[in-house]
Amino acid sequence: MFKLIVFIIFSAWAVISSLGVVLFSNPVYVILWLLSALISIAGIFFVAGAELVGAIQLIIYAVAIAVFYIFVLTAVPWEKALKKDSHYRVEGVIAFPFIILLYIEMFIVFTLGVMASPKKQLKLFIERIGNAEVVGSILFSKYFIAFEIVSLVLLMGMIGAVLIGRKESQTYDGDTS
Amino acid sequence: MEVLVLLAPLLSFIVIGLLGSKIGDRTSGIIATLSAFLSFILTLLIIPQALKQPIHITLYNFLPLENYNLSLGLYYDPLSSITTAVVTFVAGVIFLYSLGYMEHYFGKWTFKFYAYLSLFLFAMLLILLSDNLIGIFFGWEGVGVASYLLIGYFHDKKFATDASFEAFVVNRIGDWLFIFGIISTFLIFGTLTIPELFEKVDEVSKTSLALATLLLFGGAVGKSGQLPLHTWLPNAMAGPTPVSALLHAATMVAAGVYMVSRLYPLFENAPDTLKVVAVVGGLTSFFAALVATAQYDIKKIIAFSTMSQLGYMFLALGMGDMVGAMFHLTTHAFFKALLFLAAGSVIVAFHHHLQDIRYMGGLRKYMPFTYAGFMVGALALSGIFPFAGFFSKDRIIGSVLEESVFWGIVGLGGSFLTAYYIFREGFMVFHGEERFRGEYGEVHEVGRVMVIPMVVLGVLSVVFGFVGGWYSGVMGDVRHVHLSVAVGSVVVGLLGIGVAYGVFVKRVLSPESLYESLKPVHALFQSQFFTEFFYHKILARGYFNLSRASYLIGDRKIIDGSINLFSFGYLRVVRVLWKLLDIKAIDLFINWLAMFILSTGRRVSFIQTGLINNYIFFLLLGIVLILGIMLYGLNKVKGQG
Amino acid sequence: MTAIPLEAFLTVSGLIFGIGMFGLIVRRNLITLLMSLELCLNAVNIAFVGADAHLGLVEGQIFALFIIALAAVEAAVGLGIIIAIFRYRKVESSDEVRDMRG
Repeated sequence: MFKLIVFIIFSAWAVISSLGVVLFSNPVYVILWLLSALISIAGIFFVAGAELVGAIQLIIYAVAIAVFYIFVLTAVPWEKALKKDSHYRVEGVIAFPFIILLYIEMFIVFTLGVMASPKKQLKLFIERIGNAEVVGSILFSKYFIAFEIVSLVLLMGMIGAVLIGRKESQTYDGDTS
Repeated sequence: MEVLVLLAPLLSFIVIGLLGSKIGDRTSGIIATLSAFLSFILTLLIIPQALKQPIHITLYNFLPLENYNLSLGLYYDPLSSITTAVVTFVAGVIFLYSLGYMEHYFGKWTFKFYAYLSLFLFAMLLILLSDNLIGIFFGWEGVGVASYLLIGYFHDKKFATDASFEAFVVNRIGDWLFIFGIISTFLIFGTLTIPELFEKVDEVSKTSLALATLLLFGGAVGKSGQLPLHTWLPNAMAGPTPVSALLHAATMVAAGVYMVSRLYPLFENAPDTLKVVAVVGGLTSFFAALVATAQYDIKKIIAFSTMSQLGYMFLALGMGDMVGAMFHLTTHAFFKALLFLAAGSVIVAFHHHLQDIRYMGGLRKYMPFTYAGFMVGALALSGIFPFAGFFSKDRIIGSVLEESVFWGIVGLGGSFLTAYYIFREGFMVFHGEERFRGEYGEVHEVGRVMVIPMVVLGVLSVVFGFVGGWYSGVMGDVRHVHLSVAVGSVVVGLLGIGVAYGVFVKRVLSPESLYESLKPVHALFQSQFFTEFFYHKILARGYFNLSRASYLIGDRKIIDGSINLFSFGYLRVVRVLWKLLDIKAIDLFINWLAMFILSTGRRVSFIQTGLINNYIFFLLLGIVLILGIMLYGLNKVKGQG
Repeated sequence: MTAIPLEAFLTVSGLIFGIGMFGLIVRRNLITLLMSLELCLNAVNIAFVGADAHLGLVEGQIFALFIIALAAVEAAVGLGIIIAIFRYRKVESSDEVRDMRG
């Protein structure tokens, strides 16, 4: 019961933060709302018993990626970032019914899925030896190749980001000469 | 070792053909010469074995038929091995000679010449050594190709290319008969392997065998330049002289004689064919001898002499003396090559510019070796004791006289004419006044590389006749010539020489006045009894004119007319269709379609706003739609289930 | 102890995903667009973890980890692109980058 209450609190916090991300126009506020949403989602993970994912959510998402966004934001001049109309209102009005429709469809899918899903199988096993350990052991045995590929993708992404974002002298032909 | 005999010239051909431009013309010639001598030495090593027991090697089965394996095989028996030795030896000597003869042309891609010569030698050895008729046919065509290439070697001269073309076409007729002969042989015997043919020869029907052998003999006629198909042989003298000596005197033209001898058990069982062989050979020998008396080209005289001697060989074959024919082929290879080499030396002395004997004369002083070589060859050709020709020719005349007096007298007459024409040439070239003065400058004896082959061949022309007894023993058919025949033959030969001496050296009768009085006969002889005229002007030109006429009438008028009519009508119909259908219906439709698509595209393109957000909105629409469809489908499935 | 029902996780996940989708459609600033995308990814993570808790498996958490890693890559590359666009065009609003307009 206590768990459920905590979960509801975190959930409400996460939904409200998400709405803040979407609705606020000042990018700095948006980043703060995003940070809040990420922390609340980490809370949801903890409540669900996924301590490892929750910790990684806090460390990587809430710290590293958010800071990265702030870095990028500082590269953009303020007068650009603080533009008045930061939303497409017509699109929003048109898209809203479709979002509702998506909710309805997702609701049907989830209901069907929950009805079709089997009961708990490994709960006891996980509780006995601890969640993080099980995740780690399975990650490094069964999903080892996927893990290696993801690490390669990270490397590629890093190289790509550096290549795309670096200064190229010939683009500033007016300045360098 | 047995295979290497065949492969040495082939390897030489490949090496020279591929690397000739790198290693130079002289090296190419040396390689070709060495390969020929290598084959010769290997053959000498094989001969003792082959004489005891025929060697039969199957190298490779390349076409398994229903109950016969067509294979590539070698067959060494006394006939083939000795002939191979002779051919490789003469070829090697002539290759050596050609090093000197072709020196004038070095630097002008002359390595091609040696490549062709090696190819020729390979093909010739294939004829000689193959154990089945298809192999012989391959070699047959191979020497045809090599001969074509070599006759047309001076391909910047029109008469040479014409001659090579003529040789090819005329040979084609013979080859056509030959392949049909092979096919009918296969139909009759069910096999093409030569030893198996000999075993089965008694079992088959005589009539069909006569037909098959007649067709095979047709091939021999084409290759050996016998009477109906002879015009290419004198014209083939357009090639370089070593080619004439090798292909058109000593070896290739003898392929026909060799082939008939090779299959002699078949021919023996077809007496009707043998009669044809004898008649063709006898007629050719006399005909060619007559024609040779009226020629002026230094090489053409010897070419007609070759024809005549091949005629003797066929006459002997027809009269049942196969060994005599083959022995004459062997001696003839030596002295005819010698004569050609001597003629080639004369041509070299005139720097390849003069071949007409009317403008020569008195060369004896300047070219003693050539003179001696030519005279030895001429004496051997005339059948004077003790030269090689005496033994072989007298054996032939003796055998022929036994069978038929008429053909024997024809042979003797030919013998007289032979002595006359060859000494006419010899005396006109080497004796008398120097008619070439003023135009061609000094003449010299040729170099050592050309003299040595002549000396070797000259010695062989003298002494080879004495091995005739051994040769006949090995081949298993010894005949003793009656003394009266021998004496008669020598006397006839001496008579011919005497006439030539009297007319052209002593001038008892002036040749010019004789020429005036015998002008029509001379014209008849010189034009080869108008056969060349007939072939060239009437057959070839007639065919040409017939083609032209049928082109004008058939092609232009009938076929082109109908095609033009058809195309005209078709165009009319198409034009009407175009007006009615294309412009009115299809174009209209297409244009409408294009306009429709264009306007639709204009109208629709506003969706493509270029705004990422809008694209994501369409993504959302897609998700909603697809999810809806999937749920609807799931519902349906569930409802059914 | 009482378990949290799977429906609760899925509801939160769906809500946040929809909100992220809506943000993707309506935001004009390119950086905030990317942030909305992060919301979508996190919504998927919630669904994974919730399903894990319901089924008693750990595969979902592993995929959540992969998604976090790929989100990092996506953020790096996406922000690199945004910086490049800003450097060449001096703009950072999505309506000023509409080269694909038909």
